[in-house]
Amino acid sequence: MGGNWERLVWNQREALLAGFGVTLECCAYAFGGAILGGLVLCLARLYVPWLRPLAIVLIEFFRGTPIFVQLVWVNYVWPEVLGWPTSFFAAAWTALALQSSGYLAETFRAGIEGVPRGHREAAMAVGMSRPQIFRRIVTPQMLIASAPALINQFTVIVKSSTLVSVITVPDLMAQALRIVNRTYEPIEILTATAFIYIGFIFAVSTLANMGAARLRRKLGLAD
Amino acid sequence: MISEPLRQALDLGVFWEYRQVLFGGLAFNAGIFVCAACLAFAIGLLAAILRNRRGRVSRGLGALYVETFRNAPDYVMLVWVHLVLPIMIGLLIGKRLEFPPFLSAVIALGLVYSGYLAETIRAGLQAIPRGNLEAGRAVGMSEFLILRRIALPQALRRMMPEILNNLVSLFKATTIVSLIAVPDLMYRVSMVTQQEMQPLPLYTGSALTYFVVVFCVASLARLIGERWRRSVLM
Repeated sequence: MGGNWERLVWNQREALLAGFGVTLECCAYAFGGAILGGLVLCLARLYVPWLRPLAIVLIEFFRGTPIFVQLVWVNYVWPEVLGWPTSFFAAAWTALALQSSGYLAETFRAGIEGVPRGHREAAMAVGMSRPQIFRRIVTPQMLIASAPALINQFTVIVKSSTLVSVITVPDLMAQALRIVNRTYEPIEILTATAFIYIGFIFAVSTLANMGAARLRRKLGLAD
Repeated sequence: MISEPLRQALDLGVFWEYRQVLFGGLAFNAGIFVCAACLAFAIGLLAAILRNRRGRVSRGLGALYVETFRNAPDYVMLVWVHLVLPIMIGLLIGKRLEFPPFLSAVIALGLVYSGYLAETIRAGLQAIPRGNLEAGRAVGMSEFLILRRIALPQALRRMMPEILNNLVSLFKATTIVSLIAVPDLMYRVSMVTQQEMQPLPLYTGSALTYFVVVFCVASLARLIGERWRRSVLM
């Protein structure tokens, strides 16, 4: 059994590492896009009255459709109708970003609405303009309040990224499945892949949550 | 004014033509959801209880289980259960086994979502006022009796809204079962697409269908959750 592991997993590590790299890249783009999209949707919903219904519909749509359905939809329908995305990779991170932007929009909204009124009033009393208030008082508090949800959405993105192999993006899962299809010996490679994903997600979420807790303590915010 | 592809995407005639076949696929999503939900709830309950006990070994085991399955991607578990588990069990009992896709889907999703449910139930157990448990012990109840009559009812009642959210997520996750050839809605959409060569309306139609179904279910869950919170917990 030891020999099998070496042959099937260790010897393939280049392909697996390359796949992992693609996974990380895709998740990074998706996370950035999700934060951006979430902010846009959230601000549109809160501060632009005529965009509000559209924002709400979009948020509900991105949260309510399963990620696999969105992936397939963005990959096959969008290029025809909108002319973009032009690559499978772009379709992949776009779909992942859309899905999480719905959740993050709601998270940011809760964060913004959770800033105590007194803070805003104090800032106005000192003479800050509204953009200044938003930039210097609301945003930092909103970000710190959203930190756990942001970390959680990142893990959701990584977990959902396993599906992009279906639209032929060569991520870690795709590489693992390719090895399985070639050698017909699924046990070692699939177990190893599962452990890689589980270990990575566990490590990222634990470290990030510890970092966020530290930051909160440092800034003196109640836990 | 509307571009040709957009018009094609919104012309759901093809989707409506095949509606019986396609909506029949939703029955598979529902079936897998119900079975996986039962499995997830059963195992999640056990794991939460285990994790809440005082012994370090049982806490450690519970934590290991929950962290493993909570952080496992659904698709990886699905493929693993479908391809690896039959071989492993087959080696143990000395026969060649193959899981039907429906079973693999139920087991895989049940395992993954048992992790989420375990965390939710554990949060509920930890939020119980300690006095209630001590009162039970003072009257001489066994740990099992305390669990059954004091701890679990309170925990489940408190976490019911969150449990419903977990279940909605589970329902959304059932869409991936098409990847191991369970004939659910997505699978049938891809089959019909191959036949009719009209991917735009079919994929748009499936996205809309899932959105409507999930939106209704999630809104229902939200309403029940809010009323539950108000009437039961206040």
